[in-house]
Amino acid sequence: MDLALTDDQREILAAIDALTRPYAAANLHGAGFALTSGALDAELAEGGFLDVMAMGLGEVTAALVVERLARLPYAVEAQAAALVRPALDAAMPCGVCLVEEGMLHRPVRYLTAGVTVIVVGDVVRSFAAGPEHIRDAGDEVLFAYPMAYLTGLPGAMQTHAIGADEVRRLWRVGLAAESAGLLAGALASTVAHVSERKQFSRPLATFQALRHRLAEAQVLTNGCYWLALKAAASGDAGDAALAALYAQDAARRAVYDLHQFLGAMGMTLEHPLHLWTYRLKALSSELGGRGENALAAADAIWG
Amino acid sequence: MDNQGHAMDFAWDDAQLAFRESLTGFLAAHLPQDWEAFSQAGPASAALTEYARGFCGALAGEGLLFPHWPTEAGGKGLGPWEQQSLAEVMWAAGEPRGGQYMNVNWIGPTLLRYGSTAQQARYLPPITEGKALWCQGFSEPGSGSDLASLRTSAVREGDTYRVNGQKIWTSYAGLADTCFLLTRTSEDKKRGITILLVPMDTPGITVRQIPSLIGAGDIHEVFFDDVIVPAGQRLGEEGQAWEIVGFSLTNERLGIPRFHLARAALDRGVAMLQARDAFAREAVRIEAARCAGLCEAARNASYAIIQTRVEGGKVGSEASSARYATVMAERAVCEFVAEFLPEALAGASPYLMMHHQRGIVAGIAAGAAEIQLNIIASDVLGLPREPR
Repeated sequence: MDLALTDDQREILAAIDALTRPYAAANLHGAGFALTSGALDAELAEGGFLDVMAMGLGEVTAALVVERLARLPYAVEAQAAALVRPALDAAMPCGVCLVEEGMLHRPVRYLTAGVTVIVVGDVVRSFAAGPEHIRDAGDEVLFAYPMAYLTGLPGAMQTHAIGADEVRRLWRVGLAAESAGLLAGALASTVAHVSERKQFSRPLATFQALRHRLAEAQVLTNGCYWLALKAAASGDAGDAALAALYAQDAARRAVYDLHQFLGAMGMTLEHPLHLWTYRLKALSSELGGRGENALAAADAIWG
Repeated sequence: MDNQGHAMDFAWDDAQLAFRESLTGFLAAHLPQDWEAFSQAGPASAALTEYARGFCGALAGEGLLFPHWPTEAGGKGLGPWEQQSLAEVMWAAGEPRGGQYMNVNWIGPTLLRYGSTAQQARYLPPITEGKALWCQGFSEPGSGSDLASLRTSAVREGDTYRVNGQKIWTSYAGLADTCFLLTRTSEDKKRGITILLVPMDTPGITVRQIPSLIGAGDIHEVFFDDVIVPAGQRLGEEGQAWEIVGFSLTNERLGIPRFHLARAALDRGVAMLQARDAFAREAVRIEAARCAGLCEAARNASYAIIQTRVEGGKVGSEASSARYATVMAERAVCEFVAEFLPEALAGASPYLMMHHQRGIVAGIAAGAAEIQLNIIASDVLGLPREPR
């Protein structure tokens, strides 16, 4: 039993913090529903932060990177790049997105021309997305990820040797790690608001009705973090399903409260809260949502 | 790449596993055949209290009663992971140590730190031999979560104190030999509280059992009417109680590892459902998985705190987060059993009944869940405090 971060992990997280400091506060001017930065993406790729698994630093390190980046208001594709991509093909470039076969009605995170689309069904296949595979979702996407629709799957795709269950396991670890970071970001943003905003001549944060629910959100965030790391460390399918289930359950419980505490401010695009909460909402339906992840966990744990 | 030669690992290493196996092996060798039905009576029942004297004596004989105490105090100096293993294995087995777990967890260590030579000579041997039973005279009718408002008075009269007042919700009081009693010796809210170590057979003490949901003999009222206690029975100085209790609770900030029994109860419940082909329905499987997630979240949040102790760090307010996670897990498993295995709460499973009766106090005993939430809000999240 050893839950301490290694020196390498501490250094990597410190380097991420240093690199992302200019991005810690959102520039919301004209951002709309999602906030991205090509410059940030390029700096992270150049720094090798999404290649930690390929460098032999392990799944836990990759999960830590995913979690830390998700705390930013900027949407950064790290989940698939850091955790899934290295297991398929270490030489695959960073731009990747994950799709469940048979679920083409769903919008796909980070789908854009040039990315590698990883299709997870009975087997794992991939293809390079061209403009002909993509239908723009327009300006009406509420989720805080860049998203688009796939028009269909090409006839020819590359089949990968890795099992689909192993990819789903890694996807679940990534989903849980990203959710932990998103919850932490959303919670910190809400804490800052209720500590400053006064009503009845007192900061909102001094009212116990809010304090206890914020404290519960902290408990859920912390649980999500440790279950994600446990799943990354153990490599166990049941741990991964449990972590994904807990993450989706935690998001469902916490997100409503966090928006509630911001009142009308949280309904505007002038405040960044939606940049975390509407990523959590997008993740809430992945891999079948809570029900399917619960069933996967039950299968793995009790047969 | 790893220059320290370690990596995050959530599994017990070989030595830790061997220690856990020595504990489960001890249980297998010593617990009677009808243990589960027997343990359901509750850790404070007369039967379990009597049984625990023999059991703890045998544990002591194997060096397993207080292996986490320092070697100079007769322990083995084992670390926080072993202390955790001891607590987990015993609690999940229905706590065959009865109320004696308190002795080795915090009463003994507190006496070692603050007790006079005479107090140590009198009270430590019965603890280390597995014979002592203490009760904790903390809560009063008007002082629960607001413990510092307690009013049981101790008035100095020469070489003695005259104690008057009432304690309530006191576990083990019916059979305890000694009370770790908090009394008021001055009006200063926190620095006016003083600890007296009071034999329960002292004249003027009356104990009345309160029938409860959580097992026979568990909850009591204790009345102190002109009880005379020698000043030599004071632990530490007058007014030092708040500091001493603070030290005692540093060993106990995480509380009982309830998540371990909750998970064991969940697995037992699932096995019962499987045995009658009732675990195929998705509604049941989904709820069971939710419970497992809550148990494992509480476990790993708690282990993160223990890691801090292993590294020599101070365990602070983050422990409250792990504690609240444990409360969530306990509630979920109790509800799972009530919803899908109602027969377990009506005689069909002593083990699940035992879990339920111990689980439902998770958010109440040893510090209300709301207090944990207050601590998280102020000290983990850093929210401005409520006006008082």
